[in-house]
Amino acid sequence: MTGGSPWHRLNPLTKLVVATATAVGAVVLGGIAGPVLLVAAAVLLPAAIAGVLGQLVRLSLLLSLPIAISAVLINVFFFPGGQTVLLHLGPITATAEGLAFALEILVRILAISGAITLFYLTTRPAELVVDLERRGVSPRVAFVANASVQTVPAMVERAGQITAAQRARGLDTEGSLARRLRGIVPIVGPVILGAIGEVEERTMALEARGFTRPGRRTLLWWPADSGAQRLARWLIALAVPLLVLGRAAGWLEWLP
Amino acid sequence: MLALDAVTYRYAGARRAALREVSLELRDGEVLGIVGASEAGKTTLALVASGLAPRAIGGTLRGRLLLDGDDVAALPMHEVAAQVGIGFQNPATQLSGVTESVFEEVAFGPMNLGVPRDDVIARTWDALTALRVETLAERDPARLSGGQQQLVAIAGLLALRPRHLVLDEPTAQLDPAGTRLVAEALARLAADGASICVVEQKTDLLAGLANRIAVIDAGRIAFEGPAAEVLADPRIADLGITPPAPVRLARAAAAAALPAEPAARLADAIQGVIA
Amino acid sequence: MIVRWSAALLAFVVVAVAGLVLFGNFETGIDPGSFFDSEGANSFALVLAIAAVVAFAAYAAVEYLQTGGFGSISSQFDTRTIVLMPLAIAFNIILGQAVGAALKIPIYLDSIGTILVGALAGPIPGALTGFLSNILWTYVVPPPFNSGVAGAFAVVAAVIGIMAGLFGRAGWLRPRPDRPIGQLFAGGVIALAIVGFLAFYAYSRFYGTAFAFFNPENTDLLFSILGWVVALLFVAFVVGFIALLFLRRDLTVAYVVVAGVLTGAVAALISAPIAANVFSGVTGSGTDFLVLAFRRAGSDIQTATLQQGLLSDPVDKMVTFFTVYLILNAMARRMKARFPQGERLLEGDELDPDDDLETPPAPQGAPA
Repeated sequence: MTGGSPWHRLNPLTKLVVATATAVGAVVLGGIAGPVLLVAAAVLLPAAIAGVLGQLVRLSLLLSLPIAISAVLINVFFFPGGQTVLLHLGPITATAEGLAFALEILVRILAISGAITLFYLTTRPAELVVDLERRGVSPRVAFVANASVQTVPAMVERAGQITAAQRARGLDTEGSLARRLRGIVPIVGPVILGAIGEVEERTMALEARGFTRPGRRTLLWWPADSGAQRLARWLIALAVPLLVLGRAAGWLEWLP
Repeated sequence: MLALDAVTYRYAGARRAALREVSLELRDGEVLGIVGASEAGKTTLALVASGLAPRAIGGTLRGRLLLDGDDVAALPMHEVAAQVGIGFQNPATQLSGVTESVFEEVAFGPMNLGVPRDDVIARTWDALTALRVETLAERDPARLSGGQQQLVAIAGLLALRPRHLVLDEPTAQLDPAGTRLVAEALARLAADGASICVVEQKTDLLAGLANRIAVIDAGRIAFEGPAAEVLADPRIADLGITPPAPVRLARAAAAAALPAEPAARLADAIQGVIA
Repeated sequence: MIVRWSAALLAFVVVAVAGLVLFGNFETGIDPGSFFDSEGANSFALVLAIAAVVAFAAYAAVEYLQTGGFGSISSQFDTRTIVLMPLAIAFNIILGQAVGAALKIPIYLDSIGTILVGALAGPIPGALTGFLSNILWTYVVPPPFNSGVAGAFAVVAAVIGIMAGLFGRAGWLRPRPDRPIGQLFAGGVIALAIVGFLAFYAYSRFYGTAFAFFNPENTDLLFSILGWVVALLFVAFVVGFIALLFLRRDLTVAYVVVAGVLTGAVAALISAPIAANVFSGVTGSGTDFLVLAFRRAGSDIQTATLQQGLLSDPVDKMVTFFTVYLILNAMARRMKARFPQGERLLEGDELDPDDDLETPPAPQGAPA
């Protein structure tokens, strides 16, 4: 994840706050105009600055696709109380109200996945964890976070290896759903039990390298931060409960 | 000096002790080999010598572990870890799993100990250099060969600047190329004056490396002595230990009634080829 | 200490009250008779869960201000637990992604790791495992493994971890093999009674008023089918449960079933308002069809998500708890024993000398 744009260089906590606030804001604002404005300002603009606009659009569309399909299908055709009929498809009808509602959901989903994808594309997990550790999060929690990120692809790779080995022993991985389901156990079993079996060795190796020492550990590097960013984070973080309050008190009804 | 004084250790939940009345010394600058049949207590010995038993795995320890004459029973694990490094068979499970480069991996130990940043960097480079793996510094540890990973693991231990190293069958899970890599590295460390305790089944490895060897059987030290003597001792075969190749050759030659002198020269020649 | 706990308690009360006032649907007031009014019940559990999280954050914040760190929280985690957690998180994410994205069945299977850690290490590690799993799943894990929706349900995962930890601590997951038929029978009856009672209560509270499944006048084909499918599932569950209980002769099967149903019910209560409010009931997984079906019946989004949740979650958690139980049984004694709560998962007090790393060969008369 290289990238020297000003956005990339921001402190990871800042980027996290922006992403979360955007996602929560999109939900709280509701309607269509609010999330669209939010996306333009907090997702598309930074993405353009960071030079990842194309990737962002592609990945966040991919991420929202399953939800979007479900949302549109369910709401366009099955929206209770829909009056204005658009078209008939046999026993089911598409309604304009359903379409409007589906659009609302769609915009919200896109806002959330856009915000998340922007964060993912411009922040290395290790950077975020180190930053949190510098601020006082326990090295143990940092370890769990870092190790989890590395373990997911590693475990998938191992599952692939075991799948190949089991196939060589005659395991049937194609075919009906039932057969595939039964084929899962000889793969998932060894992966899970194998990983658990390593826990003892890993524990001893870690303790042998001073892992049990309480308190903080020395850090080799950490991302930079600035007063301006700290202020921005607080302002953004405070804006969210204000939005919630505004929504609850009905101040935002004028937004389409 | 690292010493075990009349150590008896029993694993948690076990009925019998795995080590009984074991007394052993690892002197500074010395390489001590430990040999024994499977299940004889070799790994347990390594775990006790490094402080992991009982601190990390529970169990009951009687007797004392002494570092430079001081009983370390009261020391927490991380303080013992700074004095005694222990390496294991499986190179992959010794990697921390949270680092993206060999440099960070080796630095993991001193970082945990809270050593100042500049010191951490210095120690890491020293350790990498000692094992001749500086060129691997930017590589992803998970993508290295088994032998390379084992070297990185040992470098990680060296970065702690321990007084003693305990290695439990470091080449057991390596292919011949990896085994050679590690054996050569250990020989260099030994030549530099490190004090190492190596538990090994491969007596050929110990033949060139160890100064003294202790034989362990059923949780007790059967006998110990200078390496060459112990390896040539006929008793070790009875205890389930395979003597090194030259010794076996010499015995085979004697059994075939070949004269001793040419058989010995033949054994040396073959030793030179194998090694 | 007092300061931290007071801060936590204060935060909990403030958030709970504020949440219930702002979002709880309490036109009926807190009237015990109709307390579990459908929509009020929806937010109740979620608000409490969020209040608990905020309380935890308050505790941590105060401790940070006092000591610049989080010592009292992180010291509860020993190295073994720390090593297990990333594995558990990976299980959650990989299995959850495989089931959610690949197989379109209305269960999740994304809590195996959470429940495993909860059982072995306790409620707090379990909660953290669940919470981190969902957060990492959304923000950090690379495509194609990431999920856009998981992050919002982190609170649910945390609560699942807590419940698993409590069940583990209570010894519910300790194997009880080779029990006499009488005990098995009693256990089975009790478990079925609990599940049956909960099912009946849920049905009458949340489903009965919306439509009648078995009403012969109901001409909507979808619901007749749905009704019969649910009934068949229930019968299959009962038969399967009894078969398992008596085949394995392990009384713990009954405990596992009850634990799963209880955890599933709580999870459904907390997750339904999240799904309804944040995602309008649509999360891109196989459960969407169920939500669709209930909305067709006329339920609003809030109720529909709850109706779907109360069907999917107990089944999902039962399967998960049972899988965790199988995994635990496959683990060696000494491996479990070294975990903080491991002792509660071992059967009996038998010492097994063969479990050692190395044992001396058969003794020639000399005692240890």
